[in-house]
Amino acid sequence: MEMEEEKAHVLFVDDERRILSTMRMLFRSDYNLHFANSAQEAIDFLKRQAVDVIVSDQRMPGMTGVDLLREAKDLRAEAMRILLTGYSDLNAIIGSINEGEIFRFVNKPWINQELKTTVAQAVEAAKATRDAIRAAREDGEEAVQQSNLPAALVLDEDAGIAPAIQQIMGEQYRIVGATTIEDAIATMESEAVGVVITDTRVEGRSVVNLLSTLKEYNPELISMVVTARADAGMAIELINQGQIYRFITKPLRDTQCKIAVAAALTQHRRMARHNQLSQRYQVQKTSKATEASQPLASSLMSRIRSLRRLVTGAA
Amino acid sequence: MKILKQLFGLLLAAGAIAVLVFLVRLTQSVDGDLHLKRLAAIQNVDDLDVALNRAVTLNRVSSLALAGDDKMAIIGQLGDAMDALDVGPLSLRGMSPEIDAALDQFLTTAGDKFVLAFDFDIRYAQVSSRLIKSVDAVPIFIHRVRRLLSDEHPMVKVLERLQSEVMALTVSSAAEASQVSRIQDYLNDIENLAAGDELSGFVVDPELTRLVKQLTSSARDVIGDKQELNERLDAFFATPTAAHLQELEDVYSLRHEALVAKAAGYRQYLIAYAVVLLLVLAMLGLRLRSSFRELDKANETLEAQVEERTQDLSDTLKELRASQTHLIQSEKMASLGQMVAGVAHEINTPLGYARGNADIVKTSLIDIGHVCAQQNRALNLIASGDAPEHEVAEALTQAISLDQEVSTGELVEDLDNLLLDTEHGLKQIAELVASLKDFSRVDRSRNDLFDVNLGIESALKICQSQLKSGITVNKVFGELPEIECSPSQVNQIFLNIITNAAQAIESAKRPDGRLFIHSKAENGGVSVRFLDNGCGMSAEVREKIFEPFFTTKPVGKGTGLGMSIIFRIIEDHGGKIEVKSIEGKGTEFMLWLPLRQAEEAPETQDETIAVAA
Repeated sequence: MEMEEEKAHVLFVDDERRILSTMRMLFRSDYNLHFANSAQEAIDFLKRQAVDVIVSDQRMPGMTGVDLLREAKDLRAEAMRILLTGYSDLNAIIGSINEGEIFRFVNKPWINQELKTTVAQAVEAAKATRDAIRAAREDGEEAVQQSNLPAALVLDEDAGIAPAIQQIMGEQYRIVGATTIEDAIATMESEAVGVVITDTRVEGRSVVNLLSTLKEYNPELISMVVTARADAGMAIELINQGQIYRFITKPLRDTQCKIAVAAALTQHRRMARHNQLSQRYQVQKTSKATEASQPLASSLMSRIRSLRRLVTGAA
Repeated sequence: MKILKQLFGLLLAAGAIAVLVFLVRLTQSVDGDLHLKRLAAIQNVDDLDVALNRAVTLNRVSSLALAGDDKMAIIGQLGDAMDALDVGPLSLRGMSPEIDAALDQFLTTAGDKFVLAFDFDIRYAQVSSRLIKSVDAVPIFIHRVRRLLSDEHPMVKVLERLQSEVMALTVSSAAEASQVSRIQDYLNDIENLAAGDELSGFVVDPELTRLVKQLTSSARDVIGDKQELNERLDAFFATPTAAHLQELEDVYSLRHEALVAKAAGYRQYLIAYAVVLLLVLAMLGLRLRSSFRELDKANETLEAQVEERTQDLSDTLKELRASQTHLIQSEKMASLGQMVAGVAHEINTPLGYARGNADIVKTSLIDIGHVCAQQNRALNLIASGDAPEHEVAEALTQAISLDQEVSTGELVEDLDNLLLDTEHGLKQIAELVASLKDFSRVDRSRNDLFDVNLGIESALKICQSQLKSGITVNKVFGELPEIECSPSQVNQIFLNIITNAAQAIESAKRPDGRLFIHSKAENGGVSVRFLDNGCGMSAEVREKIFEPFFTTKPVGKGTGLGMSIIFRIIEDHGGKIEVKSIEGKGTEFMLWLPLRQAEEAPETQDETIAVAA
C-alpha cells in the first residue's frame, strides 16, 4: 500500500452543498477529496494543508472565487486552480486570468466526463511540477538579470502599439512588432522571443488557434492579450485553449502594462529553466473548430513546430 | 433709450406743426375783406363829407329848413362813419403810429369842421335874418331918399345904381370884392354927395341926411353880413377834411400794402417750409413704405424660417424620441444582462448538480445493472436446480464480490440522496422560472390587485445572487391590503432598488452588508422602506438620481435610466418616492403607492416601461 502513490488532494469550494455532494460522488474513487462551503473555510483549510487542485465557484457570499484563487496562489502556489461557475462577467474572467492565474475556466452546468478530464489534467500538472514550482519560487527571489532577456513580440494590426509598449517598458526591454501572423512567425524564427503580446484578432481571425498552437509546441512561450474588444466568451477560450498569461484591456495603462510584460518575461525564464513547469500551461485540446478559430495553414503550423528549437535554444 | 427716442420724435413733430401754424397765422394776418370794408368806410366818410359840403352849399341857396334837416342827418351819419373808423371792428386805430397820427389829424379836422358847421348855422340864422332885414331896408331908404331928391340930383343915379348892385349882391352867392367895392364906392359917393350939398349951401333936408345915414348903414350891414357869411362858408369849405382823409387813406393803404407785402413774404416762407415739410413727409413715407416692404419680406421669410425651425425641431424631437427609445432599450438590455447574469448563476448551479447527478446515476446504474445481472445469474442457477454446485457457488461468489465492489447498498443510498438533490435542484429551477415569469408578466393595465409583499419576495429571489455576497436581508412585512397597480412595473421598482442597494453595499466593501425592508399599510395605500448600509451618496448625486441619464456607474455599466423609470412608474401610479442618504453610511428609499388607481385612459402606460428595469 505504501508503495502505491498517494492519491492527489483536490479541494472543492462551493456555497451550494449539493454541488459538493455531486463532486464527492464524481471523484470519490479518484482523489482525496476536501470540501469547503465558503471561501473563508477554503482559506483556513489551505493554511493547514497543501492540495494539488482547487476547484472553486465564483459567486459566493463574502468572497468571490477569483479572490479566493488569488489568495490560494499565494498560500499554495503549486495548487492548480480551476474556476467552476454558473455565470461570470468579463471582469471576473479577466481577474481570474491576471490575478488568479487559473488553469481552466469551467461553466456550470458541466459535463462530468469533461470535468473529470480537466481535473485529471490539473492533477497531473500539479504532480509533475511540484518540485519545479519550489525551485521556481526560489528563483523568484533572485534578481532578474535584465541582460539576456529575450524579446517580447507585439502582434497587432495597429503598428503603433509596439512602439507604445516599447516606450512604456523602457530601453532595457526589447520589443519587436509584427502586424501579420506571417511577420510574427518570421520574427520568431530570426530572433529569440519569450513573450507574445497580441490582440484577440489579427487579419480578421481569432488568435486562439495561433496561441493554442504556439503553446502546444513551445510551452515556454508566454502569451498575453492586449485588446479593446474584451468579450467574456473570447476570454474563456483564450484561457482554456490559449493558456494566456495576462489579459489586458486597451487603452494601455503604463504601470499595469509594465508589470504585466515584465512578469511575463520572468515567467518565461522560469519556464525555460524548469521544463516541467510547462505542463502547468498545457492547453485544452479542442475538437471543435469554430469559425473564430480556424486551424492555421499547415505551412505555418510546421514553422511553429520548428520554432521550439529556437525558443529553448535561446533561453 | 427707446422711450427717449420716441419722445424726441414726438417733440420734433409738435415743433414742426407749431412752426406751420405760426407761419399760416402770419400769412393770414392781412384780412382782405376787412381791408375792403375799411376802404369802404373811408369812402363812406369821404362821401358823407362831400354830402355835408353840398348840404351846406345848398343850405345857402335853398330854403333853410329843408337843407338844415338834411345837413343834420348827414352830420349824424358822418359822425357814425367816423366813429367806425376810430373804434369797432373796422377801426384803423392801433395799426401803426402813422395811421394813428393821420386818424387823429383827420378826426381833429373833422371835429373843427363840425364846430364850424354849427357856428355857421347859428351865425347864418342870425346874419341871414339881419341881412334880409337890411336888404329889405335898403330899397325903402333909397325910395325915401329919392322922394326927397329932385330928378336931376346926381344922387338919384347913384341911388339907382346902388339899388341894383345891392340886389345883385343879395342874389349872388358869393360877395365878390369888385361888387362890394363898387357898393362901397356908391355909398361913399352918396355920403359925399350929401355932405357936398351941405357944403354947397343947398338946403339940406335933415331928413335926407338921416335917411342917407340909415341907408348907408343898412347897405354896409348887408355887405358886412354877406362878407361874414361868405367868410364863414369859405372857412368851412377850407377845412381840409378831404385832404386829411385822403392822407389817412394813403397812410392806411401804405400800411396795408406793407402788411400785404410782409404776408406775401411770409407766404414765401410758408411755401418753402411746406415744401420742406412735404419733402420730409415724403421721405418718411418712403422710409415707412420701404420698412413696410421689409416687414412684409421679413414676415414672409419669418414664416419660412418658422416653418424651417419647426421642421428642425420636430426632426430633433423625432431623433430624441428615437434615441430615447434606443436608450431605454439599452437600459432594458443592460438590466436584462444583469438579471440574466444573476439568474443564470442561480439556474446553472442547481442545473449543474442535477445534470451531474443524473450522469452519475446513469453510470452507477450500469454498475448496479452488472451486480443485478450477476445476482440474477446466480439466482437462476440456484432456481434451475440442476446446476453443478461449484458453478452456483462461483456465481454467488462473483455476485457477492461484485456487490461488494460496487457496494450497492451504499451506492443506492447515495444515488437516492443524489436524486433527492436533483429533485430539489429542479424544483429550485422551476421556482425561479416561475418567479421570472411572474416578474416579467407584460400586463398593460394598472388595475390588477397585487400583494406588495409577494412582489418584494419575488424581486428578492431574482436578486438572490447579488445579495448572496454577505448581505443580510431583514424583512419586516406588515399586513397589507392588495393594491391596484401594474404588478410587473411595481416589481421592477423593487428589483431596481434592491439591485442598487446590493451594488451600494458591494462598492462600500462592507462585510456586514444589511438591507432592511419594511412594508406597512399607511395613508390609504402601502408604503415600503428600503434601508441599506451601502456607500450612500452625496447631496448632489441624490438631487440628480431621478434625472434621466444620470448615472454614477462607469461608462457602459448603466444608462442612468433605471431610477428615472422608477420615478415615472411611481408617478404614473399616483404614488410618492423619497430618498435620504448619507455618504458612506447608507441610503433609504421610501415609497408609497395608493390603494386604488384613478380611472385613466390606458395610453399613459408605456410599453417600454413595463419591461425596462
